[in-house]
Amino acid sequence: MSGSGNVRTRNESAWLLPSDGSRVNHRLRADMRTFDDAEEVDLVVVGAGAGGSVLTQRLARRGWRVVCLDAGPFWDPDSDWVSDERGAHTLYWTEPRQIGGTDPVPLGSNNSGRGVGGSMVHFAGYVPRLHPSDFATRSRDKVGADWPIGYPELKPYYEHIEHELPVAGQRWPWGDPHRYPHSPHPVGGNGEIFLRGAKAAGIEARVGPVAITNGRFGNRSHCIYRGFCLQGCKVNAKASPLITHVPDALAHGAEIRPDSHVSRVLLDEGSGRVTGVEYHRGGVLRRQRAAAVVVAGYSIETPRLLMLSTSRAFPDGLGNRHDQLGRYLMVQGAPQTAGRFEAEIRMYKSPPPEVSTEQFYETDPSKPYRRGWSIQTVSPLPITWAEHVTAQGHWGEVLREYMRDYVHWATLGALCEFLPLAGNRVILADETDRHGLPVAHFAYSMGANDHALMRAATESMETILRAAGASEVMTIDRYAHLVGGARMAATAADGVVDADHRVFGVPNLFIVDGSVLPTQGSANPALTIMALAARAADRMVAIGRTTSGTGTL
Amino acid sequence: MIYRSPAQRAITPQHRGRFPGFDVVERADDWDALTAGTVLARLGPAAATVFFTETEAGIAGALLDRLLAQDGEPRIPVLALIDARLAAGETDGWHYDDLPEDGQAWRDTLRYLESDASSRYGTGFAETQVRRQTVLIQQVQDLAAASECWHGLPAERVWSLWTRYACTAFYSHPWAWNEIGFSGPAYPRGYLNPGVDALERFEVADHDDVDPGPFADRVERARHRHLEDQP
Repeated sequence: MSGSGNVRTRNESAWLLPSDGSRVNHRLRADMRTFDDAEEVDLVVVGAGAGGSVLTQRLARRGWRVVCLDAGPFWDPDSDWVSDERGAHTLYWTEPRQIGGTDPVPLGSNNSGRGVGGSMVHFAGYVPRLHPSDFATRSRDKVGADWPIGYPELKPYYEHIEHELPVAGQRWPWGDPHRYPHSPHPVGGNGEIFLRGAKAAGIEARVGPVAITNGRFGNRSHCIYRGFCLQGCKVNAKASPLITHVPDALAHGAEIRPDSHVSRVLLDEGSGRVTGVEYHRGGVLRRQRAAAVVVAGYSIETPRLLMLSTSRAFPDGLGNRHDQLGRYLMVQGAPQTAGRFEAEIRMYKSPPPEVSTEQFYETDPSKPYRRGWSIQTVSPLPITWAEHVTAQGHWGEVLREYMRDYVHWATLGALCEFLPLAGNRVILADETDRHGLPVAHFAYSMGANDHALMRAATESMETILRAAGASEVMTIDRYAHLVGGARMAATAADGVVDADHRVFGVPNLFIVDGSVLPTQGSANPALTIMALAARAADRMVAIGRTTSGTGTL
Repeated sequence: MIYRSPAQRAITPQHRGRFPGFDVVERADDWDALTAGTVLARLGPAAATVFFTETEAGIAGALLDRLLAQDGEPRIPVLALIDARLAAGETDGWHYDDLPEDGQAWRDTLRYLESDASSRYGTGFAETQVRRQTVLIQQVQDLAAASECWHGLPAERVWSLWTRYACTAFYSHPWAWNEIGFSGPAYPRGYLNPGVDALERFEVADHDDVDPGPFADRVERARHRHLEDQP
């Protein structure tokens, strides 16, 4: 295991940030190396989120000439972000998308980012690992799918990324037990209630794991417990690739090209290889040439982009010879249960991510359902809290009365492992965006096991809150996170990419984002996506060594 | 310190609240300029309606007043905030495939409310009595709860659209924060005293701790009794 002592030699991002109270190293951005569209770079990466940023940083360090395009802005927390719930709207992917199925899943603020840093800019900050069982749910539990790689292959990358974010939390007893580099944060009212209720109910709970510095880390500031993690951290305390990997990528010669909406991956039908990407920037349609392409647009935009990239060889979308693209898209069932206390909880004070339990994560053979769920503190701000209240059917004076009671409520959220289903998928809709490109339609329908998990998870949260002394509880059924849609598999008939993230049938096209996950466990996906990206970089270097003299692809 | 007349301090919508004297904007000097600009803009004079037609604005205004129980002054200008948002095409980044995009969905549903008022009471929605408006709105919610359609649209989706836009506008306003005891922006100040029953020096304790449950039951019963009384 690599200790925190040598993080700086692997990733200097935190030391490349300014130490004067401002949040961006403008010198580093101004001096950024840039490439010409016509120059064939070693790699173009589409999307600067959890996957794309880590991959870009890793390969830039290996000397690859990398251009990473993102549809959104190159954020400056000082001048672009506000400490306000409503004002965070610009952080989300708000281009049109359609949702359907029997259980449509809202996108936007819930799970979709834009701009450099991706949705980690507004993620809560929880960074648990997957459990070893998550990689083989098919053989162990007869549900879901087996990955073509196992936990041991990802473990060293989990450890590296945990030190680079860095992660704060208590020693973790679940899955593959491990420690975290930073000690746990103090908890606020919501965390206190969770710990108290869990103890009274005989449930193990732990503080963490959160990607928020506890103490100084390079030039990153200490958390100020202001509670706006989901609105973009203006403090530089909560991790996102914007501060954890992009600075180091720039220092090693990568170009981050913002405001560039990629509309097509270009294929040379003669050689069967991709040659670059077509993208919209400033009203101009441009082409960036590249020796290899990585798509890292996450579970909705990655399938959409490949579906838009049709050719005679791939009439149904690039890499979609087996009708696997866009399928097996997963969300986690994320019911939130709130409890009412006579005391004032004021859950908005402190980061929403504080305390978790993974006691219900694994399959319990005595239950009729397979797999499980985790429980975490969530601390909705007023607008999101109003959604919780209106979900009970309240409106008018009753809504106002419940809202006036805001300071008395504590809220927990579960993450239920919904199973991958072929019919849960992205297709192109009959509606177009401002570039005239068909938008994504995302259909989601829950299965019987999913429904059973939602009920059981809700009951477990009610138990904890009642044990802590809640006089009333109320639940909103909702969904969180996105993974799958271009899953990793052993064969082309079962997925879109192989164990090296290479798209079946296209030798120099890769997918490195959350869409490759075949199962999701009950863990928030950010850490796993970053760990996969770090591993993918090593795999691509290995492939490059065997296929070309230069080491690139 | 930003000047405010004494009449502009500690305002709550319709003078309702449980945190007497609590005034979020009083702390605006602690906020970063960017956030202050964003939040204080909501206190500026409401812009003229540009998205909604005059008729639509009348219906929407009455609907929003009922949804948020804004039955008097001071009123958070929810209609203006929603109109500006729709005019800018600022959506949530998704829409249900069985509902048109948000702007069109607003126009369509307002028209349906108008037609309900007209067929049931022979008047427009905006001009009919508050009690009758409540009845018409409650019927949409009842259809939503039963997963049924209303004028060919899934009522659940319509209810979600209305309440999402209404609550996003209302609870983004500092007066609503005064009402519920929320301290608003917190950068670069942060919090010194998180924890159960722990207050910052500028926070005000709940002066009238009332479990909303019993009150809510009373109101819901009254609403349904009222609905049953209707012809």
